[in-house]
Amino acid sequence: MISLKDVSFYYKRGKPIFEHLNLEIPSKLITFIVGPNGGGKTTLGKLMAGILKPQSGVVLVDSLNTKTVPLAELGAKVGYLFQEPERQIFAATVRDEIGFVLSLRDKPQGEIATIVDAVLEQFQLTHLAAVSPLKLSRGEKQRLAIAAIMVNQPQFFILDEPTTGLDRERIDILSGVIEDLQQRGIGMAIISHDQSFVRRHAQQVITVAGGEIVDVAAYHP
Amino acid sequence: MTWQLTTLDPRTKLIIVLCLSSLAVFCQNIYLLLLVLLLTLIVVKLTGGELGQLFSKFKKFIKVFLAVIVIQSIFTNEGQVLLQVMQIKLLTDVGLLRGLQTVLRFLIVIAAAVVMTTANSRDIIQGLIQWKVPYELAFMVTIAIRFLPLLQEEATDTLTALQLRGVNLKKIPILKRLRTYSYLLMPLLTSVLIKARDLSVAMEMRAFRAYPQRTSLRELHFARIDYFVIVLSMLLFQLLLWAALVLS
Repeated sequence: MISLKDVSFYYKRGKPIFEHLNLEIPSKLITFIVGPNGGGKTTLGKLMAGILKPQSGVVLVDSLNTKTVPLAELGAKVGYLFQEPERQIFAATVRDEIGFVLSLRDKPQGEIATIVDAVLEQFQLTHLAAVSPLKLSRGEKQRLAIAAIMVNQPQFFILDEPTTGLDRERIDILSGVIEDLQQRGIGMAIISHDQSFVRRHAQQVITVAGGEIVDVAAYHP
Repeated sequence: MTWQLTTLDPRTKLIIVLCLSSLAVFCQNIYLLLLVLLLTLIVVKLTGGELGQLFSKFKKFIKVFLAVIVIQSIFTNEGQVLLQVMQIKLLTDVGLLRGLQTVLRFLIVIAAAVVMTTANSRDIIQGLIQWKVPYELAFMVTIAIRFLPLLQEEATDTLTALQLRGVNLKKIPILKRLRTYSYLLMPLLTSVLIKARDLSVAMEMRAFRAYPQRTSLRELHFARIDYFVIVLSMLLFQLLLWAALVLS
């Protein structure tokens, strides 16, 4: 579970984005964070992942304080998909992209190959294994970014506007990935403007506007 | 006359920056360099720059500054030894003095650069054009200024994404860390190339360089305060330059 306790955050002193924010995100559900542009959705997502640190209050990820625990350790608990997937693709081929972190950890090559093959298959990327990530479509890049994060086996995912720039068919593929992740017991917080996407997956909806949590509601389609 | 100079013409700011940076190069005397630094900080404050942000920038360089002082001490090889480990003179009075000179020059240049960030980038390009700098060159300068914060944000996001993948850079041995940094280049280079391509297409679509001569809707005009500040800057520059020559 991710808990925000009395969290205050600002980018510029005197212009607070959040003040004394309290929020709990359940670990197994799909929680959507919705609201108008500039309302603080992405900032909230980044606070939850530990990318941004609050000036006061604490953010706990499974009782780990994001202020004191290194990002590398938080990454084992929470996966974060940026709005621009290009920013989190590092390697020259799809296969290397999924496996390079494991090789940095000195895992045996045989073990790496087994894990990478399984993840490629899970995300329907096997046929693209030798392709450069630069040549992938936006939807494929997103799937690759999620697949690469999955190597860490996080228990929770935060996805920032995952449907941006995707057509209906690609959104359906992404929906399949989300359903698959949920069946594996992985909870998610999804920042989205796409109402039909929200209706399709939401189990809880948090509305953020003007730096405040306007509403937290269980969602029953 | 008001002491708030936020509305100065960008060309005036450029002249101030040139004067301050030149003084940083010419002055040898520590007290004179301190005076120039103080003047630079006053200019930053008056032109609307944020001193707090500037000091936090200075803090990031503390290790570099200390390294500069030690390196100067080791390689100068003269003066009285203040700190010695085994046979290596880690700190000498001459090394300390030269190190401080370098550090102060560095601080003056960083602070002077902050003055230019208080000017609108569109105004800077217009100022350069009115100084007869070719438009293409001025435009390139503006693009560099415009895209730097964006690249910085992307670099931060990329580094964050890499750490969230479980890579703790502080715990990786140095050789492997270098290999890891090579992975960071990939998304940054890709992003720069994509941006350059998109920008060139956008420029073509808006008929960039369709005509050899360009006209501008907005033109910059020096106000009386600009003339006053330029004359004052030149006078102070000459005075401090004279002082630097006398004291050297």
